[in-house]
Amino acid sequence: MECAVEARGLVKVYPGGVRAVDGVSFCIRPGEIYSLLGPNGAGKTTTVKMLATLLKPTEGDAFILGRSVVRERYEVRRLIGVTPQDLTSDDEMTGWENVYIQARLYGYPAGEARERARWALEYMGLLDVAHRKVSTYSGGMRRRLEIAMSIVHKPKVLFLDEPTLGLDVQSRRHLWDLIRRLRGEGVTILLTTHYMEEAEELSDRVAIIDHGRIIAEGAPGELIAKLGGERIHILMPGPSEAEKLAGELASSGWSARAHGSEVVVTVANAAEALAELAPHLRGAREVRIARPNLEEVFLELTGRRLREEEESFDAFRYRVMTRRLRR
Amino acid sequence: MAGASLLLAWRELKKWVGRRGVFISSLVTPLLWIALFGKSFNLQALFTPPQGAQLPPGMVEAFRRAIEERIVSLFGTTDYFTFVSTGMLVVFAVFQGMFAGVSVIFDKRLGYLERLMASPVPRSSIYLSKVIATVARVTILDAILLGVALAMGLKISGAGPIDFLVAWVYVVLLAAALAAGYATMSFYAEHQEAVFAASNLINLPLMFSSSALFPVKQMPHWLQVVAKWNPVTHAANLVRHHLIGAPVSDYWLSVAYLATVTAVLLGAGLYLSVRWMENR
Ligand SMILES: Nc1ncnc2c1ncn2[C@@H]1O[C@H](COP(=O)(O)OP(=O)(O)O)[C@@H](O)[C@H]1O
Ligand SMILES: [Mg+2]
Repeated sequence: MECAVEARGLVKVYPGGVRAVDGVSFCIRPGEIYSLLGPNGAGKTTTVKMLATLLKPTEGDAFILGRSVVRERYEVRRLIGVTPQDLTSDDEMTGWENVYIQARLYGYPAGEARERARWALEYMGLLDVAHRKVSTYSGGMRRRLEIAMSIVHKPKVLFLDEPTLGLDVQSRRHLWDLIRRLRGEGVTILLTTHYMEEAEELSDRVAIIDHGRIIAEGAPGELIAKLGGERIHILMPGPSEAEKLAGELASSGWSARAHGSEVVVTVANAAEALAELAPHLRGAREVRIARPNLEEVFLELTGRRLREEEESFDAFRYRVMTRRLRR
Repeated sequence: MAGASLLLAWRELKKWVGRRGVFISSLVTPLLWIALFGKSFNLQALFTPPQGAQLPPGMVEAFRRAIEERIVSLFGTTDYFTFVSTGMLVVFAVFQGMFAGVSVIFDKRLGYLERLMASPVPRSSIYLSKVIATVARVTILDAILLGVALAMGLKISGAGPIDFLVAWVYVVLLAAALAAGYATMSFYAEHQEAVFAASNLINLPLMFSSSALFPVKQMPHWLQVVAKWNPVTHAANLVRHHLIGAPVSDYWLSVAYLATVTAVLLGAGLYLSVRWMENR
């Protein structure tokens, strides 16, 4: 079998006319981690829900290990594990009860279900809190419980919809390790995220999705390499100054574009280019050399940031900085 | 399918018992109801001759007999407490139905339903588990109600174990019918307020236009017509028939009608609920 998961021209139009997914096709090879990276509202969750048989595609079809999500829904459900974006565990029950019920739902008899539940909880590092009510769990524990519930039946294909949403850096790293471990056991994983570090860290291949369409696909390294060169970001006092500077640079032969108050200049070697750029930088608030990454790829393709609405320039810079410190 | 339904119903019951406050209040409610409803209204007291009235003893006795006969013909018993506590067994089936709906809404909001739907569990089991859990809750509450009513003076004349079992079946039929209706409605409803509003609209009229609390024969004609079509009336009459030997006008007609209403609601609910889950 060539694809563990194959989407063919998936379209979803919600009642009311929102075209959330607009012709998505891809092929996930067995045993790889494949990420859908895109901003909020890009159509990631809708795509995952169609693959998980929770939503019917308006057009197109998808195949999980050769089974159609439209015509063989129950067969598909046996093959997959799903961790939805929103928390789904029952917080009035214990972690153990949540996972145990899940095992029973997949048809394991009581004794075996207990073994499966124990294994899944141990795998996700939750065994010592298993008999506590879920309402007492931390955010990271709840996310891990979600995954424990999704892997208790040893699915061949696992869908993780924004599995680290809202977690702190440490819990996120922990979860990344666990996800990599799952891949090590041969599970095919479809991950969605709007954190570019997450996609970069985990994926064998990434599809960048925007407005319901895949606009680029490949290994993170490949996509970044395609960008070519390095990027210098120049923060100006406002959008009009940025426009002006971009125009000025472009007319003297630079490859420069304005995004809001920022001007992004693409150069072969940033350190060398800076000296030449210096005369133009009067009035600039900040100048920064960006290591080429998926964020830059997205910016290049769409002219927008992945998390435009929720992130200021400073927060972004801080994030880049902490990344560097960690390396 | 049966296994999954029972497993999910077990989850509901566990949560019910786990919510100490809710559980205890749902145990206390039936007791309060029969204590207040049943004991505050003493039929016999209405017909005791006033103090100091000078009537020949024979006449008082004849009068008492005549009135008692009239009461029995209306209520099927001389004791209102006996009448109302047996009716209450059925009222609880009506009032618990709404919780099947609330539980569906909660599972939707919690995201738990989504997880269930991503699993290979039959969609029918998800729906049926809500009905089964409600039936189980009603059974537990009715058992307690019955025990307390017996302690408080409910007169059961010659009802054997079979009578209790058969009466329980009729309570189950009614509880299942209401749970099916509420569960189905809740798959399509967005907010739990919709379920509460519907239950306010449905439960009280259903209770008062039936023979559960008051005899139908003393109702105005139009209400009698409503009561005749009200499945609660049939359930109440059948339960009373078995527990206190009250006469029913047409036993098998009542059984057939009650069973039909339940089958239709359960079946339509199954179809609509599964349709909601599969066509999104
Ligand atoms: N149930 C729904 N009804 C109508 N529109 C929806 C619904 N769910 C999502 N959408 C819309 O579809 C688009 C894609 O949403 P979603 O798949 O959740 O994106 P993502 O997961 O990438 O953030 C958004 O514009 C969103 O508002
Ligand atoms: Mg999403």
